[in-house]
Amino acid sequence: MPETKNFMPNSVSNGMTVIAKGVKVEGDFDSQGDVMIEGQVNGHVSTNGLLTVGNEARLKADVSAANAVVAGDVEGTINVSGRLELKATAKVQGDVTCETAIVEAGAALNGKFMVGQVKSAPAPRQSEAKNAAKES
Amino acid sequence: MRHGNYAFIYDDFLSDRKFEHVLSEVDARLASLDLTGRVGRLTLFRNARDIVQSLVQDSDTTVVVVGNDRTLDKVLWFLPDMQVTLAYIPVGPPTNVASLLGIPIGAGACDVLSARLIEWLDVGRLDDRYFLSEISLSNTNAAIEVEGKYRISPYKGGSIFIRNLGSLTEAKPEWADAKDGLLEVIVKPVEEKAGSGFFRKAEAPVTRLFLSSGNIVSDQPVEVKADYYAANGMRFEIGVEPKKLRFVTGRNRRISPEGEGLQKARHNANLTGI
Repeated sequence: MPETKNFMPNSVSNGMTVIAKGVKVEGDFDSQGDVMIEGQVNGHVSTNGLLTVGNEARLKADVSAANAVVAGDVEGTINVSGRLELKATAKVQGDVTCETAIVEAGAALNGKFMVGQVKSAPAPRQSEAKNAAKES
Repeated sequence: MRHGNYAFIYDDFLSDRKFEHVLSEVDARLASLDLTGRVGRLTLFRNARDIVQSLVQDSDTTVVVVGNDRTLDKVLWFLPDMQVTLAYIPVGPPTNVASLLGIPIGAGACDVLSARLIEWLDVGRLDDRYFLSEISLSNTNAAIEVEGKYRISPYKGGSIFIRNLGSLTEAKPEWADAKDGLLEVIVKPVEEKAGSGFFRKAEAPVTRLFLSSGNIVSDQPVEVKADYYAANGMRFEIGVEPKKLRFVTGRNRRISPEGEGLQKARHNANLTGI
């Protein structure tokens, strides 16, 4: 086989999955790595990275992530194994479970809010698992 | 030094007198580099596959396409299965593929051919037809269905691009990684009216995700373009064949930072089921 080299792209600068405004997702949207949502999602969202729900995002979905920043509307349960940040513009209708939380004044929550009571966590990234193994 | 056999495929449009000068430059440069071989010419009423097959002796053959991106498209739908090496001498527009692969226009491309920097490229698939650059759907309400798990679509209409190597349709070329075993999906909804000058809105992020296989689905028949091939229908299968095509590329093509492709592949592993 001849010599091969990677060549690539200004378009994939950070490999983040983006669901932008004006786009909708229907179904089970499972991902790995960081995900940013500014559009609509109906169904389920899951990632083992950082989930960012923008202030124009509308989610009718159960959400699970390693860490999350929510600034938009979420109708469904939120389960975060690490840190959850609710921005002032966030509107959540559903139960929230996370390890640690930061809630800005103005954030709206209609449901149970359980901090430090994570039920099930998304699998950590491989690199994080390796680092944890090294430390132990 | 000669490497294997060469089969030169010239497009029919090159018989136009305006290409005489550039073709004579190309031929002179090829001769000076001792790059010679069998020659065929694509014509309107002869099947391109028959012409190429008649020139290819074995898998050691390098098929050199002389023409433009449309010429390339005329042979790409069957060439990946012939297991030959592909080279490209662009002599007239459109030449977006040449830009993406760092191949200069005209006689300069002969030096790229001589240098023989060969890349194994992924090839995209629309149903049973191969494509190199991208699939595009304009002004569409179609959706992309991924692994039967979820659908993604612009809810007020827009454009969808599914890229292997990069864009053919945009004035500013956008690269995709044709070596990662994935297709890059870009969804651009119909733009809202933006301000101008000082009040112009900042550029919004576009929807971007990666997949190895999926479907284009629509309630209404839609036109789908795969490079320069157009098809109409309500459901299309899309996929990618990793490292399917050997292509002689120029040194000016983009090089990804170490590990970026791997990181992206891992990032999307769950999305694509790989």
